[in-house]
Amino acid sequence: MNTYYAANLLIYAGVDIIALLALNLQFGVSGIVNFSFIVFQAAGAYTAAVLSLPPDSANGGFQIYFGGYQLPFPLPWLGGAVAGGLLSIPVGLVVLRKLRSDYQAIALLVLSIITNEVITNARPLLNGAAGLALVPPPLSDQIDPNTSSYQYFYVGLTAVCVVLVFVLVNRVVNSPYGRSLRAMREREIAAVAIGKNPVQLKLTVFIVGGVIAGLSGAILVGFIQLWAPSVWLYPETIILFAAIIVGGRGNNVGAILGALLVPVGFEEVTRFIPTTIGPPGLIPALQWVAIGLLIIGFLWFRPDGVRPEPRHVFDGAPVLEDVDHARGT
Amino acid sequence: MLAVPEAPAAERPLLVASDIHRHFEGLHAVDGVSIDVAPGKITGLIGPNGAGKSTFLAVLAGTLPGSSGDIVFDGQDVTAWPAYKRARHGLVRTFQLPSEFARLTVLENLLVAAPHNKGDSLFGALMGKRYWIGDERRLVDEARVLLNRFGMSAKESDYAGNMSGGQKRLIEIMRALMLRPRLLLLDEPMSGVHPKIVLEIQHYLQDLRAEGLTILMVEHELHMVERLCDSVVVMAQGKVIGSGTMATLRRQREIVDAYLVG
Repeated sequence: MNTYYAANLLIYAGVDIIALLALNLQFGVSGIVNFSFIVFQAAGAYTAAVLSLPPDSANGGFQIYFGGYQLPFPLPWLGGAVAGGLLSIPVGLVVLRKLRSDYQAIALLVLSIITNEVITNARPLLNGAAGLALVPPPLSDQIDPNTSSYQYFYVGLTAVCVVLVFVLVNRVVNSPYGRSLRAMREREIAAVAIGKNPVQLKLTVFIVGGVIAGLSGAILVGFIQLWAPSVWLYPETIILFAAIIVGGRGNNVGAILGALLVPVGFEEVTRFIPTTIGPPGLIPALQWVAIGLLIIGFLWFRPDGVRPEPRHVFDGAPVLEDVDHARGT
Repeated sequence: MLAVPEAPAAERPLLVASDIHRHFEGLHAVDGVSIDVAPGKITGLIGPNGAGKSTFLAVLAGTLPGSSGDIVFDGQDVTAWPAYKRARHGLVRTFQLPSEFARLTVLENLLVAAPHNKGDSLFGALMGKRYWIGDERRLVDEARVLLNRFGMSAKESDYAGNMSGGQKRLIEIMRALMLRPRLLLLDEPMSGVHPKIVLEIQHYLQDLRAEGLTILMVEHELHMVERLCDSVVVMAQGKVIGSGTMATLRRQREIVDAYLVG
């Protein structure tokens, strides 16, 4: 296993973990079926790209885009996070206020498709279907990105972000605020009747999730150095949902496990299936079938996932017979 | 302003609803209902199925917007307030169907309703446990007092969704009490509950009234209404057709015809 492969694997794992912690907060904890999640990751990636790229006249002007500010690290990453959050505000205001949750899911799915179509076809905006290439990696003017020490450095940067996001999301989920979010997920009308404002709760979580999704996109684009509509098609969101369902809805450790099992593990394992079997395109198509079966299988046989949401037991509680999922608070 | 001196607080109605209407596409579910709810009393709201009682209760709580009419709660016009704001000000409802938070424990169902927890905001949550644990401990103690009183201490760590119908009712009443309501709107608190727990709920409600809580309850079981309620409002076809004590209502022919017998 060479350094690049290892770094690649670890960074993808880190990005997926960050994204899934955000999606778990939105979907697992709060019950928001955000089928446009990948759009917020893309917003972060594109923003980080145009903040770190030179103006589009550079490199012979082979790609066109707005911006090109050549900002130093960590501004592109921060910009990516801010972009994810800012995009969440109008989307959240339109989708989360009036619509019932199943319609919210449909509206968000449609938004994901429309956004991808628009970015694909409006070339002057972000270079259309070809996407942005030659995105400068962070601090590449100081460390040569083609060395293995840079790869490890990037893994380290990603790990710092993973830890930071994990700590913050954990604080939210395990707080009284997280309890309010879970109550809203369980029965919104009853949450209203005890004084919770569901629109405010959902919008806040939507924005927080958008910020984290944006950061994950910024980290990814800095490493793979390109970003195009084909990498953020709406089915990517479905893979993330599969990971949440497999890992365990409402459990942050489950979200991490889901990231390692589905987007990372699943793709890595299927990579070794010889592509010469059957007609061309058979194996990728079967991968999608397998993702679908994975979701259905878990919902059928283990709907709570590998790591179910922990039951919150308080100090001084009467002794439980079933302490399987009990946890001190 | 009026020069009339204000009535003493004890006599001023806690809630005044005037000319409340609620239409569903031409159906007048609530058709010009006006009632006063006296403080410290249990007021019953009775009537045949489809009379608009539950709809009226929902309009009072704000969980269903009214088509027209005014609601004044404790001297404040709350007509335009959203439901969550009314709840925070002490106008708290329960539901006809069980409405527990199934995947929260019984204790959490109570805690989640408690106001004034520093950890119940994004900022507070991000600050970490040390910032809010003081509030949390105080509220856990408060919730356990309630659980003890309602005989559910042993169940505090069980998921609320696994409780029986009667226990879910109790959870809902305790949850409402955590908000420290000034007016509790109960929508058929005894429906689908084991007769033994019905008696318990009755005793709890009498105790709460003795402590000064005001209650407006929709109830079908007339013996219960007779035992519990200080005054009763009768609704039929979206309108109020009478009010008073059960004894006086029994003497009114049209009410007896409309509801009290077959």
